[in-house]
Amino acid sequence: MNYQPQDFLPIFVQLAAALAFIVLVMVLTHALGPKRHSAKKDDSFECGIESIGDARTPISVKYFLVAILFVLFDLEIVFMYPWAVNFKQLAWNGFYEMIVFMGLLLAGFIYVIKKGILTWEK
Amino acid sequence: MTAIIALSLFGISNLFLGFWFPRKTIQLVTLLFLVVSMALTVSDWNHELLWFGNMFRTTNTSINFSLIIQLAAFFVVAFSKAFGQDDEHTHPAEYYAIMLFSVVGAILMVSFDHMIVLFVGLEILSVAMYVLTGSDKRNLRSNEAAIKYFLMGSFTTGFLLFGITLVYGATRSFYISNIGTILTTTAPESMPSFLFIGVLLIIVGLLFKVSAAPFHFWTPDVYEGAPTIFTMFMSTIVKTASFAALFQLVSGIFGSLYTVWVLPVYFISMLTLVVGNISAVYQQSVKRMLAFSSISHAGYLILTVSSKQISTTSSILYYSLSYTLATVVAFAVLILVSEYQSARVEKPENFSSFEGLAKNNPGLALCFSISMLSLAGIPLTAGFWGKFFIFSDTFSRNIIYPVILAILMSAVGIYYYFKGIIAVYLKAGEIEKIEVPTLFKMALWACTLGTIILGIYPSLVKSVF
Repeated sequence: MNYQPQDFLPIFVQLAAALAFIVLVMVLTHALGPKRHSAKKDDSFECGIESIGDARTPISVKYFLVAILFVLFDLEIVFMYPWAVNFKQLAWNGFYEMIVFMGLLLAGFIYVIKKGILTWEK
Repeated sequence: MTAIIALSLFGISNLFLGFWFPRKTIQLVTLLFLVVSMALTVSDWNHELLWFGNMFRTTNTSINFSLIIQLAAFFVVAFSKAFGQDDEHTHPAEYYAIMLFSVVGAILMVSFDHMIVLFVGLEILSVAMYVLTGSDKRNLRSNEAAIKYFLMGSFTTGFLLFGITLVYGATRSFYISNIGTILTTTAPESMPSFLFIGVLLIIVGLLFKVSAAPFHFWTPDVYEGAPTIFTMFMSTIVKTASFAALFQLVSGIFGSLYTVWVLPVYFISMLTLVVGNISAVYQQSVKRMLAFSSISHAGYLILTVSSKQISTTSSILYYSLSYTLATVVAFAVLILVSEYQSARVEKPENFSSFEGLAKNNPGLALCFSISMLSLAGIPLTAGFWGKFFIFSDTFSRNIIYPVILAILMSAVGIYYYFKGIIAVYLKAGEIEKIEVPTLFKMALWACTLGTIILGIYPSLVKSVF
């Protein structure tokens, strides 16, 4: 089946409808709702204790190292899901390729440990 | 092809060798690794084969290009002096590993048969270069160079990817050979117009990497900010690999779309020649001058892109080799002199710090002068024949005006290259004898001899290519 550009028109209709609904509701709430102003009410909503100081404080570089390592090894899991789903079809060939992939990551992990990145107290 | 697997494994083992061995040993082992991978590359000679699901093609041309790349890497490692003594701030094992990884990327870029392999190769090479550029962590200029290179580089990678996508959309194939047959068998009028935009975007993406004007603005700052040893790496390996990829695409598969890219490419080539050479004249810093000189050499190389003679491939190879040998020596002497002068003068990389080098270091002065002569294209050096082959190839295709401009601009080049020679020989200055390590000295003389031998017997190498 070949799609023509005009076949995608419903998507734009949907988009326009979604936008129109948002605009309509925002206009309606502003027009219909009661307006009461006070210092507390006009403040931006925050829960918890009042904030102190600036968010731009220096953070220990160890935090970034752990965060980057987390992303790396997290991605490894992402690759394993599709492999697990197609485990039967990929058969032994896929298994060997996964072994190579895991082996490379494992080498990286050993390197990280030997480099002493996970020893926090030094 | 086995070379890229071997180099990846060597890179990983290099990381671990750093735990147990001193830095001198790691340097020697890395040299050994590169020799092994060169031998593996040569073993594919005369076997035109496809690998990895037909995505990777080894031809004699691609083998020659990968050999030049690995030779350049070999000399860079030999000139690295194992990155000094500072154990806290320099990490030689990691630097060598990243260099080996980036060589893998460069080899992918010269032997791809699939657009995605080109992209992956370019990214492996570039990401490694971003890291190495910023490896001098305490130096603000190095940090600035790294972030500048990263932002500009990733932006233009977007251009390349967009171009690949558009070409894929028009031809429904990522394979170079398929795209080539589709483009030659279909009339250009019946192709969708976004194909031409795609072709130009791919060219732009690659021209950024070879630092052709007007995509050259990052080059001087990045070359100056990066540690000199990695500038040497960048100006030889990145340039050779990107240019090989550009040549293979433009004169290979996009050859039938000649009318689309020929005017932009010649305009860029002429602009690059003018901008590179004229700006180099005004530089006080040798490192910055070499950056602009590398821009202008990109201009000479782009001239050849459209001249699809049989001899053109070998001319480009010859030019890359002669440029690599000369550039490597120029940067190596710069490393020695600027290290010596760093405690004595404010700007150790300026021409003024070379003054009087010949008095107590005649060997270094000779090597530096020969490399400058080769870059300027003076006869009896390799650079002369490189320029000669390129100009004659281009001229024989009736491309007159760009060649005339190129010849004029190489005359301009003589001025700033000779500024270095004059500083070394004729100006008075006090430079004591500089201590040169044995390996460094051997590599220096090997490159200088190579430049002279190639200049006297160009057919020696030209017949192999």
